[in-house]
Amino acid sequence: MINLEKIMEQKVLSSLDGVSLYGIISILIFFAFFAVTLLWAFGLKKNYLHHMEALPLDGGEKKSTGKIQS
Amino acid sequence: MNTNIETFKYDNRIVRAFAIATVLWGIVGMLVGLLAAVQLFYPDANLNFQFITFGRIRPLHTNAVIFAFVGNGMFMGIYYSLQRLCKARLFSDFISWFHFWGWQTIIVSAALTLPLGYTTSKEYAELEWPIKIAIAVVWVAFTVNLIGTILKRREKHMYVAIWFYLATALTVAVLHITNSMTMPAGLFKSYSMYAGVQDALVQWWYGHNAVAFFLTTPYLGLMYYFLPKAANRPIFSYRLSIIHFWALIFLYIWAGPHHLLYTALPDWAQSLGMVFSLMLIAPSWGGMLNGLLTLRGAWDKVRQDPVLKFMVVAVTAYGMATLEGPLLAIKTVNSLSHYTDWTIAHAHTGALGWNGFLTFSMLYFLFPRLYKTQLWSTKLANYHFWIGLLGMMFYIIPIYVAGITEGLMWKQFNKDGFLQYPNFLETIVQVVPMFRLRAIGGSLYIIGVFMMAYNLYRTAKAGEFEPDTEAQAAPLEKTASAEAPGKYSFHRMLEGKPMLFTVLSLVAILIGGIVEIIPMYLIKQNVPTIASVHPYSPLEVLGRDLYIREGCLGCHSQMIRPFRSETERYGEYSKAGEFVYDHPFLWGSERKGPDLAREGGKYPDAWHFNHMDDPRSTSPGSIMPRYSWLLTQPLDTTSLPSRLAALRRVGVPYPAGFENGPAQKDLRAQAAKVVANLKLGSVNADPDKEIIALIAYLQRLGTDIKSAPVASAAQ
Repeated sequence: MINLEKIMEQKVLSSLDGVSLYGIISILIFFAFFAVTLLWAFGLKKNYLHHMEALPLDGGEKKSTGKIQS
Repeated sequence: MNTNIETFKYDNRIVRAFAIATVLWGIVGMLVGLLAAVQLFYPDANLNFQFITFGRIRPLHTNAVIFAFVGNGMFMGIYYSLQRLCKARLFSDFISWFHFWGWQTIIVSAALTLPLGYTTSKEYAELEWPIKIAIAVVWVAFTVNLIGTILKRREKHMYVAIWFYLATALTVAVLHITNSMTMPAGLFKSYSMYAGVQDALVQWWYGHNAVAFFLTTPYLGLMYYFLPKAANRPIFSYRLSIIHFWALIFLYIWAGPHHLLYTALPDWAQSLGMVFSLMLIAPSWGGMLNGLLTLRGAWDKVRQDPVLKFMVVAVTAYGMATLEGPLLAIKTVNSLSHYTDWTIAHAHTGALGWNGFLTFSMLYFLFPRLYKTQLWSTKLANYHFWIGLLGMMFYIIPIYVAGITEGLMWKQFNKDGFLQYPNFLETIVQVVPMFRLRAIGGSLYIIGVFMMAYNLYRTAKAGEFEPDTEAQAAPLEKTASAEAPGKYSFHRMLEGKPMLFTVLSLVAILIGGIVEIIPMYLIKQNVPTIASVHPYSPLEVLGRDLYIREGCLGCHSQMIRPFRSETERYGEYSKAGEFVYDHPFLWGSERKGPDLAREGGKYPDAWHFNHMDDPRSTSPGSIMPRYSWLLTQPLDTTSLPSRLAALRRVGVPYPAGFENGPAQKDLRAQAAKVVANLKLGSVNADPDKEIIALIAYLQRLGTDIKSAPVASAAQ
């Protein structure tokens, strides 16, 4: 089994130069992206967050149908 | 305080239309699934009628459930919540109805063409090219309606649900267009532009992300709206939802190659798919916890309210499926699970639990509101919940058992080093009782859906439909900020600018796609070509198209993985260079029958003839349906020129003018050979029947590399 895998790897990969770079670039891009997202999320103001958390609850309907519960 | 309050109306008609379509297509899609499930233990349930045979109705079932049931459910929920989150009526009533009728027309055309055998064979993208174009047009209409509504909104901030809707609209468009690159060969036939390994990568990049961006992201958006709404509580953490969104859409797009582990796909792409799949656990569970924790302090409501009950199970099923998915993407686990029923069980945890139950909860939530009344029977809805849950368990658990049993039996060696179960049939016969149990589970689930349909019908009867709901809000320009003016963070600026937001989401999803797909295009020159691999003969092309028409790849893979258990059973493992003329690739994703990659020459022609006529005559206990119509239906050779010409256009090196005469001659000569071979096995057959072409194709499979030594990379 191991030998067969080895052969496959040689056949397909030997001709693609610097293939390991793709993996490294991918991880770097992701960590940069994730770090920025985290900073972003934790920099947000409390009152803004409270407003957004409750946003679905006010649909702007004139007569609230909220009391009709199934 | 702003005094310039505007009064406007939300459109409920379009929401109702999509809701009704959701219920109706849900019933149809699930019944087709049940029919397919029954055929797995009782093959004669197709009544020897080709249009309802497993291979053709399996794609009908998957398409109906994904695009008709979940698709309509998604549009229902989006159009209801979008208006209320934007405090604006939908952008255009005309576009809304164009979207609705366009989508239903596509569904009907799918329901007609798939049983007729018009299929591209690419999973979840089976529909032929005219329908693909229609899908693109209708999808653009939906996107315009979505973005148009966002632009005319009266609420300054775009709630996280809307981001998920936007990401869905954009990504599905990108995926659909990339994977639909085909060369037409007549009105109902086309060949993928990509071949072999490239086609496989593009297809599973699409297939995986169809699950991600059709079944997951829109429903997460709906969860973020309907769950707080039904619980009447704010979402647990908006911060978490931001991280959930960006991490999820960024990561998902990379994970596609996990559908091709240990295949002839290059190893780097496989590893990339595996690593990103594992990382997906984090945002998925973040989202699940955000949903469940929204209910903190409101769990007493879950006891009473069927809407919340369905939601809790839906979100839990999402959590289970998104833990299991990454585990299945680990190469070692995948070596056991791939091609088995384990994958089917995983898919149904998502479809029955996450999508199904969330859709039911939305329907129970919406009908009383649209009809200004109470739900007709809460008790019946509770019964639906329990029977649905029971059905799900009866469906999923036996199929897990079946999947693991199959995987273990395929790999089992005896102490002398031979396969313990060399006959594939033994492994299938072993799990047939599980298939029976699964059908019982599916039936229970469908009974629940009928109960819901009746409950919703009675609710509608009892109430009075409100076509438009009046609402009031201040226009956007004059709306005071919800907080004191101060520093604006980048994110708030971003979600205040929908177009910029849209572009950034697109960039996020394109990065993963580009890193994976571009090297695959580059590799075209690097796939080692094998000198003895040559294009299919005209008769084999027609046979291959019959193989596609009958959906043989629904049960038979054509990809031998480099494991001793597979090479012992099937022969030499598959090489990337063997598939350079395969438009489309036919590796399959499931084995209900043995792999066929090296089928050529294994049995005499007459065996195949008898086997197609009645599989149980050659293989007692087989669950394969009879294909007796292939023995009587004449082979259509009139389309051969257009087929060969289309294949040449996508890169198969048929000589110029080959299709205009030499091809027919070649076809007749090969057919005569097959007929002669059949005679040796005491079978008298006409050379102009479909079975002749199919036998020619099956006998060709995997034989190229046997005929000459493997050559080194050509370039």
